[in-house]
Amino acid sequence: MKKPSALVVGSGVSGLTAALLLAAHDYRVRLVEQSPRIGGALRRFRRGGVAFDTGFHFAGGLDDGGLLHRMLAALELADAVQPRFLAEDCSFRFVFESAGRAFDLPRGIAGWRETLARAFPKERSAVEGYFERVARVCANTPGMDLVSLGAPRRPLDEDYVTLARVLEDLTDDRLLRGVLCGLCMCHGVRPSEVSFATHSRVCYDLHRCAAQLEGGGDALIDAFAGRLRALNVEILRGRRLAACEGIEGDRVRRFVLDDGTALEADAAVLTIHPRAVLDLLPRAHLSRAFAQRVESFEDTAGFFTAYGVLRRPEPDPATAKTVVSLFPYEDFDRMMAPSAEDARALVLVSSVEPGANGPAQVVTAFEPAAEDHVAAWRESRIGRRPPGYADYKAARAESIRRRIEGYGDGYAGQFDLVESSSMLTFRDYLHSPGGSAYGIKQKPGQYNLIGRLPLKNVFVAGQSALLPGVAGAMMSAFFVVRPIVGRDRFDRFLRGGGTG
Amino acid sequence: MNRDEIERRIHGVFEDAFEIEPERLTPEAKVFEDLGLDSLDIVDLIVALQKQFGVQIREDERVRAIRTLADIADFIETLMQEEDARRSGS
Repeated sequence: MKKPSALVVGSGVSGLTAALLLAAHDYRVRLVEQSPRIGGALRRFRRGGVAFDTGFHFAGGLDDGGLLHRMLAALELADAVQPRFLAEDCSFRFVFESAGRAFDLPRGIAGWRETLARAFPKERSAVEGYFERVARVCANTPGMDLVSLGAPRRPLDEDYVTLARVLEDLTDDRLLRGVLCGLCMCHGVRPSEVSFATHSRVCYDLHRCAAQLEGGGDALIDAFAGRLRALNVEILRGRRLAACEGIEGDRVRRFVLDDGTALEADAAVLTIHPRAVLDLLPRAHLSRAFAQRVESFEDTAGFFTAYGVLRRPEPDPATAKTVVSLFPYEDFDRMMAPSAEDARALVLVSSVEPGANGPAQVVTAFEPAAEDHVAAWRESRIGRRPPGYADYKAARAESIRRRIEGYGDGYAGQFDLVESSSMLTFRDYLHSPGGSAYGIKQKPGQYNLIGRLPLKNVFVAGQSALLPGVAGAMMSAFFVVRPIVGRDRFDRFLRGGGTG
Repeated sequence: MNRDEIERRIHGVFEDAFEIEPERLTPEAKVFEDLGLDSLDIVDLIVALQKQFGVQIREDERVRAIRTLADIADFIETLMQEEDARRSGS
């Protein structure tokens, strides 16, 4: 019998996951990637022999039993990557600069609760209420343990209320609210806009156990690449899906690439931005309501990132074990607003990486950014930026350098800036419409684009589909591939019973 | 908002968002069989109705029970009454 065929568009972590899952179910899979290399935002870059991560810095759920670990295990990749867990006593440090307070948040939900109940003795019930509600959301969300992926998805009350609203109801203490918003940079949406459910699903595993990966995002790409080879997935690099043609009975007969190659596929999984999906599909086959829904989606924040090396006598692995966030204020709506000039949050992530002159203390520092900041150079492309853009980058990078050196502590020393990136950098390297960090905002009551489209053999996955971040992007691929390959067969596969 | 206005606006949604001819839009018209929407259109219909009426619609049993345009009008009327009750109650 002829193998069914699948086309996966985009080779970020959701595309890589979809390709592997389809191949594991005996599909003949082609993976199309517009860039010369696969991996999307997982990809590192190197300067002077030292590697810097671009989009993957740390993740939750890499411990045994964590969602990310379960997904990697299902893909037979768990042994191919080595987590470096953040410090047990202080995985995250939140520094509230104007309040003059710092919070060292340990690994584990019990530790977060204890730390905050100690710091806010009058707010014990608010602290308990928050963590209970986060846990309840995750317990009631099918698939957070992977095996229940196919359970009916019923909207929760928390899908219809913002994080800000929940926190206002819980406590009047602005500083406590600030601390509970401290991981908003991990979904890129302001508290007044993100649904409490999305916030909870992103933060739960980060509270539980956060880790970096040995070798960064490249380690994940290498692990995927090995399995893709073993399962004979054909990778078409430097090519883009340009058109869906020959539509009969709501099925696309020809997927045409930008070099003119026409491919047939029983199923195509698009792991690209929803607006890019809309641009691909012939409007005659879509309702205006569909187009209006997609056009109404707004992008999350992006990042301005400074990459550098901390000059010090010896690299200190301890610095790498705590993610430090500097928050000028408690108000995340203000700090994550496009207009936040000198009030931006700054997240510092470090790792010790091999370099030409021995191990180097690498620092990646990122601030929220908005498209408005780079609007003046919107029409330009990499390597052909107009004057002014370099000045903008230099000024922002310099301000970040001063903040890092001013913070001191584990980051004491001289920060040698190596490179910086704006939202335009992300946009152009990742071929995403605006360069946002997490695709679209997942607001209360929003209906994302996920699963089958009005065309019967075209499906959508990706971090804009279900949940932002690496785990969310991967989970969307599990969710979308399941009905393609057959629900029962897929559920047997998840239970470890093979794909027969 | 009275019943006529609700129906008029629902018809507007079907004309604008799904490009359905006005003469086919009668209260007893069946959304799937007569107007040709499919299960994938339901989410788009919900989003369009949310925008038109400024209400929040969950994809739950009540939505799944909808068959005709009159059912939609009943549903929206109920939602708006619930919304009013919530506002005056809080």
